Amino acid sequence: MDFIITLVNGLSLGGVYAMIALGYTMVYGIAKLLNFAHGDVIMVSGYAILVFLSFDPILAIICATLFCMLLGIAMERVAYRPLRGASPLAVLITAIGVSYLLQSLAQIIFGAADRYVIVADLGSITLGEVKIDVGTIITLGASLVIMMALSLFVKFTRTGRAMVAVSEDRDAARLMGININRIITITFAIGSALAALAGLFSLFRVPTIMPTYGAMPGIKAFVAAVIGGIGSIPGAMLGGILLGVVECICNSTPLAPYTIAIEFAILIVILLVKPTGILGKKRREKV
Amino acid sequence: MKAKRFFGKLAALTLTVAVTVGCVFGLASCGGKKNVNYAENNTTIKIGVSGPLTGGAAVYGVAVKNSAQLAINEINEKGGLDGILFEFVMTDDEHDPNLVAANYANMLEGGMQISLGTVTTAPGLEFKEFSHDDNVFVLTPSASGDNIPEYDNAFQMCFADSNQGTASAKFFNENYQGKKVGIFFKSDDEYSTGIKDKFLQELSSSFTVEEASFKEQESDFRTQIQTLKDCDVIFMPIYYTPASQFMFQGKNTVKSTAIYYGCDGLDGIDAIDGFDINSITQEVSYLSHFNSGATTGAAAEFIDKYNAAYDEAAEPLNQFGAAAYDCVYAIYEALKVAKAAGKEFSVTTSASDFCDILTEVFAGDFVFKGVTGAPESDGYSRISWTAQGFVNKEAVKYVVKECTAE
Amino acid sequence: MTSLLQGLKNIKWKHYINYIAVGIFAILFTLMTFGGSLPQSTLYMLEEITMNILLSVSLCLVVGFLGELSLGHAGFMCVGAYMGGKLAVILSKTALGNGVLSFVFCMLLGAVVAGAAGFLIGLPALRLKGDYLAIVTLAFGEIVKTLFQNSSSESFGGPVGLRTPRFDKQYLFIIGFALVLLALFVIQNLIRSKHGRAITAIRDNEIAAKATGINVTKYKLLGFIISAAFAGIAGVFYSFSHNYVKAEVFDYNYSIEILIMVVLGGMGNISGAIISATLITVLNTELQTILTGDRAVLKDVIYALILIAIVIYNNAPALRSFRERFTPRAFVRRLLAKRKGNAYNADDDARWDVVPTKIDMDEVLSVDLKVVESTMRPDKEDKSDE
Repeated sequence: MDFIITLVNGLSLGGVYAMIALGYTMVYGIAKLLNFAHGDVIMVSGYAILVFLSFDPILAIICATLFCMLLGIAMERVAYRPLRGASPLAVLITAIGVSYLLQSLAQIIFGAADRYVIVADLGSITLGEVKIDVGTIITLGASLVIMMALSLFVKFTRTGRAMVAVSEDRDAARLMGININRIITITFAIGSALAALAGLFSLFRVPTIMPTYGAMPGIKAFVAAVIGGIGSIPGAMLGGILLGVVECICNSTPLAPYTIAIEFAILIVILLVKPTGILGKKRREKV
Repeated sequence: MKAKRFFGKLAALTLTVAVTVGCVFGLASCGGKKNVNYAENNTTIKIGVSGPLTGGAAVYGVAVKNSAQLAINEINEKGGLDGILFEFVMTDDEHDPNLVAANYANMLEGGMQISLGTVTTAPGLEFKEFSHDDNVFVLTPSASGDNIPEYDNAFQMCFADSNQGTASAKFFNENYQGKKVGIFFKSDDEYSTGIKDKFLQELSSSFTVEEASFKEQESDFRTQIQTLKDCDVIFMPIYYTPASQFMFQGKNTVKSTAIYYGCDGLDGIDAIDGFDINSITQEVSYLSHFNSGATTGAAAEFIDKYNAAYDEAAEPLNQFGAAAYDCVYAIYEALKVAKAAGKEFSVTTSASDFCDILTEVFAGDFVFKGVTGAPESDGYSRISWTAQGFVNKEAVKYVVKECTAE
Repeated sequence: MTSLLQGLKNIKWKHYINYIAVGIFAILFTLMTFGGSLPQSTLYMLEEITMNILLSVSLCLVVGFLGELSLGHAGFMCVGAYMGGKLAVILSKTALGNGVLSFVFCMLLGAVVAGAAGFLIGLPALRLKGDYLAIVTLAFGEIVKTLFQNSSSESFGGPVGLRTPRFDKQYLFIIGFALVLLALFVIQNLIRSKHGRAITAIRDNEIAAKATGINVTKYKLLGFIISAAFAGIAGVFYSFSHNYVKAEVFDYNYSIEILIMVVLGGMGNISGAIISATLITVLNTELQTILTGDRAVLKDVIYALILIAIVIYNNAPALRSFRERFTPRAFVRRLLAKRKGNAYNADDDARWDVVPTKIDMDEVLSVDLKVVESTMRPDKEDKSDE
């Protein structure tokens, strides 16, 4: 019985990780950039919801998502676009700089203390003997729907296929008349919107927000994206769910203090067996 | 070609040897600088502290900064100590022991004469060695590690971790016999594990104990709640933020008649912006020296003053702040006592001399009336110190809210 | 005498500039300490600077020369700090006490154990590329941290940390400088040897390097081991310059901080790594001690803005011509040109390696191979799809 509850917990936590990892993997796949500031967008989303919540919960969610999209576009425009064509490590460093910047701005504006952001009390439903929070179901359902929507978007729309083209070969895509800058901007907007929604779902689970909140989920989502295979949309989902379930199962055993070590050990093992993640594409090496 | 390489290597080697020889010489002649008085040009008595002002633990450091500044302002408005004014300086250590050396040395060289040590334990362990070497007085508000007051120059305003563990175990042995006990602690935190270990050691063996732990940066406690959901009493030697998250997430899962029992870290739980403590049914209580929800006595007066001066939601008050407020006043009162006893000091007295003066007072039979600790009839508590530097005051079990389950 | 002068004239000063600069500073500061004119805060800062130089120079070997992204450098440091610290605790109770000799022993142990850890991390590096390897190194760092955090209080101190004897606080920085010189000696000589050229060949094109007979496995492992060993030595230095070794200090943020030093120093540029490690340490310490009290929250904002600005200025392709006009070298050249009476012509500085007509051999070769592969034998992957 307890195990089922832990499993459901893990699935829900995994849903949150998956949402973040989806954004991560899209940005990585297309812009070829480890966006260390991605986790901090989640934090910004939490604060944005806090600000707009006094008006209306639905409005707050919409505003927060839009705000994060704008933030993502601004981040890309100011910190990443000037470095297009430069060493990927240079972009990594600006991403870290942006992450520091967002965290300290949040502390200056909202203070260091944790804030409770209770979006809505959704209650819980009982299935047999298992009591499940409605928030858990929404998280899991929404992340599945979004994953499928993203897959369809990438497969069947012009923009989506342009994204695939850019991620495959940026120079060839440019020659085919694809506006690279536009595609990358759209990617950042979608990625940040996903992060904003992930922020919302994590508020269903833990209704608190603080300036350094984004760091750990950001790293976990990075791990999830890598486990699933960076650039793969179903992979990010799979990696996120796997990570969430492992985390919850570990925490319910006496091994709890070692949870992070176990998660990372699993990552290393998976990468040693499949160097590009579970669903990652095998790339032919160029000579 | 050969010559080039040879000369280059020779040069490099000579330098290496020179530097190594230099360093061995340095050790041999290990003279050590005489105590310099960095306070020569001071116009006020400078009190310094190092604490987290940014990063994950910033909320505790900010409370200390605000409260100590509040106390200093009050003292200065009253005219200081017979005309001698005080000044407060706080440097940011991000709860990282690696940053303490620079903070300490710069504050000391900037004229710091008396210190409040550090806000948290980990940096405090570095700080205590530096301050011991230079003989600088330390009265820490909230670094509660057992070996913080290891040396003669250091005193604590908060209860030491093991004392809290012992006191809590005693309370459990006397009041909760026969109940199922759960412990929720932070496995990578010395405060939490320090109290927990001592608590388990002192707890009578008749209890059945369930343990669940969490780590830094973790706020999703559903799994831990599953482990502890059948416990009658849940002991929480942790800070109030994760505790509130546990309570919030577990309000429907944990036994509705359970009792949450914590230590001084739990203070402030009823003042968190947006967290309605009455939304949970379980009893919440803690054994501490301060209750930031106090409505009577000197504590209430202090809370009102704090809330008038600072934004409650962004920079909330907690026991860290109250202890810092008491620290400043305790130093002020101790200096008064010393002056009455004929000790000479001025704004340019060196840190080392201040340390001698203050250590003598604090290790003696000095009793301070403060806002932390159980209040006497006049609203103030009585606080004294042992010669080892541990604090002596009455802890109170505060019931933040009663059980409201039917 | 003349032969000596001739010899001095023939030295490639460029090769020794690092030793000379570090050596001069070391001697200068040593003399100043003996004279008693250095405040303690400067000595602490020097300890921190030398430690960070050690870290950034050693990371430079992996990131700059081997071309692998490592986010777990602090993990090696953690291993070194705990091992060296533990040995120091044991040695301090013996006749050796807490002197230079016990430092040497601790340093050797720390270097060996951290080097072994580097070997372990080098193994996945043989199979993994780029960011996949980066996350593995990050994972390694966090695993090491977690293990030491949960150790028993008798072994490595657990969450409180391991209490280690602190070295004499006045003269420790001199050992720091000596260690920097040692690291420079080893790493620079490695890079300028044929082994070093093999390592950079692997960075530039692994398959081509393999084809020319370079033992890729050996050199990758060598790079990781040496880099990790020096990080371990830096860890031992940390344990001697602090009273407690606490695992939380060595989290991935620390690794990133070291990476920032390497990248700002211009990856693969040891002098740059030294300079940027020094400047970043000074900047951080100054921000931390100047911005006290209410202003402390500003320090991360300032730091982040400086970081972003410098990286964009240094790397943005659009600013290249602007940059080239304002490097110290261009400045000197312009001065010289003026003295000779020649007009300065910016086109003279044009870089030969970015001439657009240069054919990218990588692309040409890869296209050829792809054709051959697809016609000769179907890929494994394609089979599974059917």
